[in-house]
Amino acid sequence: MLRYALIALAALTALAQPAGAADGPIRFGLTAAVVRENLNLYERWADYLGRKVGRPVEFVQRRTYREAIELLRTGEHDFSWVCSFPYAKYRDEKFFGLMAVPVFEGKPLYRAYLIVHKDSPIRTLDELQGRVFAYSEPDSNTGYAVPRQMLFDAGKNPDRFFRQTFFTYSHTETIEAVAEQVADGASVDSYVWEYLARREPRLTADTRIISRSKDFGFPPLVYRSGIDDKLRQRMTEVLLGMDKDPDGKALLDELVLDRFTVASPDLFDGVSLNPERR
Amino acid sequence: MGRIPLSLSIKLPLVLAIVVAAVAATIGVAMVNRDRQHLREELHGRAVLLARTVAAIAPEPVLRGDSWTLYKSLRQSVRGPESAREKALITAMVLDPQGRVLAHLEPAAFPIGLPVMRPDSPEWPRLQAELVARVPDVFEGEGFVEGVAPVQASGYTVGLARVRLSTHELDEQTAAAATTVLILSIGMAVIGIILGAAWSIRMLRPLRLLSRSMLDLGRGVFRPLPESRRDEIGQLAVSFNEMAAEIEDKRRLQSEVAANEKVLALGRIAAGVAHEVNNPLAGMLNCLSTLRAEKNDPALVARYLPLIENGLRKIEALVKDLLIELRVEDAREIADSGCLEDVRDLVNAEIDPHLIEFVWDNRLGSDDVFNGPKMQQILINLLRNAVQAMPDGGRLLCRLRRDGARLVFEVEDTGHGIAERDQSRIFDPFFTSRPAGTGLGLWIVLRLAQSLGGSVEVDSAPGRGAKFRVQIPQEQPRVAQPA
Repeated sequence: MLRYALIALAALTALAQPAGAADGPIRFGLTAAVVRENLNLYERWADYLGRKVGRPVEFVQRRTYREAIELLRTGEHDFSWVCSFPYAKYRDEKFFGLMAVPVFEGKPLYRAYLIVHKDSPIRTLDELQGRVFAYSEPDSNTGYAVPRQMLFDAGKNPDRFFRQTFFTYSHTETIEAVAEQVADGASVDSYVWEYLARREPRLTADTRIISRSKDFGFPPLVYRSGIDDKLRQRMTEVLLGMDKDPDGKALLDELVLDRFTVASPDLFDGVSLNPERR
Repeated sequence: MGRIPLSLSIKLPLVLAIVVAAVAATIGVAMVNRDRQHLREELHGRAVLLARTVAAIAPEPVLRGDSWTLYKSLRQSVRGPESAREKALITAMVLDPQGRVLAHLEPAAFPIGLPVMRPDSPEWPRLQAELVARVPDVFEGEGFVEGVAPVQASGYTVGLARVRLSTHELDEQTAAAATTVLILSIGMAVIGIILGAAWSIRMLRPLRLLSRSMLDLGRGVFRPLPESRRDEIGQLAVSFNEMAAEIEDKRRLQSEVAANEKVLALGRIAAGVAHEVNNPLAGMLNCLSTLRAEKNDPALVARYLPLIENGLRKIEALVKDLLIELRVEDAREIADSGCLEDVRDLVNAEIDPHLIEFVWDNRLGSDDVFNGPKMQQILINLLRNAVQAMPDGGRLLCRLRRDGARLVFEVEDTGHGIAERDQSRIFDPFFTSRPAGTGLGLWIVLRLAQSLGGSVEVDSAPGRGAKFRVQIPQEQPRVAQPA
């Protein structure tokens, strides 16, 4: 009798909670690919996603892409917004899959901006020889691989070209380093630069773009391979449908994105070439 | 200072003001100095503290070559939030042991990886001293202090934190304090002047009263001073009053003595006159009784009448001289030497120019003024005396000149001179060496000269003539005389 009562109670308890609630919130990794300074926006976005998916969503900031990728591999994170470089680098290992790609200025593409201080006399990458250059991080496409590839293509040794280089682990801070003239030049994510130019022009106003790279696939949103299929589908649907929903549209506007779209992994083929040719 | 005549009423407040201002300024300067020392030490402390803060967070990013984190940490630790910001901060930096920039607050001017300065920079020696510092220290420069602290990792020095703070605020505070001291000193000086003035007025009023009373006393008016004060000035007033009373007594005594002497002198003159009149009178009476006894002897009449006439003439001359003396005694008119020309004319008319050569040498100017009637009488008497001393002719010289503040009148003759024994008596009344003389001429000269505040000297020897010199003080010019 008591046993049945206990079973009934357990069943009731299980019924009272939404499916998967016992697993805790969905952990969504964020990296330097996006502007991380506006915490409030990400909180609201997490609320939105949680509401739509039916489970609380938590954005987790990580310093490096590698960290974010590893956490995806170990299963700590269910989803992650990573840079195109680590995506291209690790996609063959199959522990994560492409879920959605943001559409920025009409296309799921972005590029690298080579920037200098607004008062700097420098007009080309070549003139930055012997200067101080700021990188975003070693696993960044636009913030590391692209400028080095450009130097390599120009016949220069990327390892000796600059007097000094340093990593900021954030495109925003890279822009700040150039704006404050700690670095003479830097290569940054065009999305981050444009986002700041619209939302917080204080930093970008002190910088000047001297060249734009070719287009690359926009840093994608990926899912952990071991994740529940339904959750993945639900999350994908929610993301893809954001531009049709007023709340979602408002958030997209704040993110300076048009919408999210599905794309073929081929979109990132151009990226994957970079590290191999270094 | 001592030679410039300054009234006590100015000196006293001035001295008080100077003393007060000097004391205030001295104390003020000492305080400003101490204050500045204190502020400087505090600034040193702040500079070292900031340098140590930077040095404490620097090792990790320095070792990792993480220039961006190092820059951000530097910025954060020296700038911090607005409220806690060091206002005196000029700049801050982290250098490597060779003096190259690892991070600098002014990255544009001091790029990372380059030496912070060239070896020819004037600050180079100080930088070298700072680079070998093994403990936090403070270095002073022009307008700033520099706190330095070595960046150490595992006992090795991997860099140097350098924080420069401006001494501008310090200088401003010192200037403000100095201004306060200056204003305070001036204020104190003003108070000193006011107090000194009040004090000197209080102190000098009785002194001025005393000085006025003394002046009055000199003029013969005695005004006793109030003896209300109990201090030294009060004692002075008491002493002054006592002295003034004594002087008054003495003066009264003196005037009484003088009055007595005048009476005595009058008596002597009267006796002299009586004696001088009595002599011819006795002769004349004798003649008259002889004539009365020998009425019918015409020879006697012819012999005695001239004798009687001589006697009467002598009495007449005596009376005339006395009258002249009385008349001139009260004369007051002020005149210049022009009035003496009359005297010259008179003497010229009386002498025989064939016998006596009369030289008149007047060197007085129109500003040289004196009591005219008295001086006329003095000269007439002296000149007549001189003429009578030369019955056989000679040279008569009258010289009028000025000697400093005195007027000198000299009458010189080439007559028979004055015997040595007579020289002390010639000014006595009724002394004469001539049978027809009254003996009053020179006595009158002396009296008149003395009444003018002057003196008479005589220089003579028998057979070598005589020289009389009258010296009188210059009178006030006519313009200054009351109308």
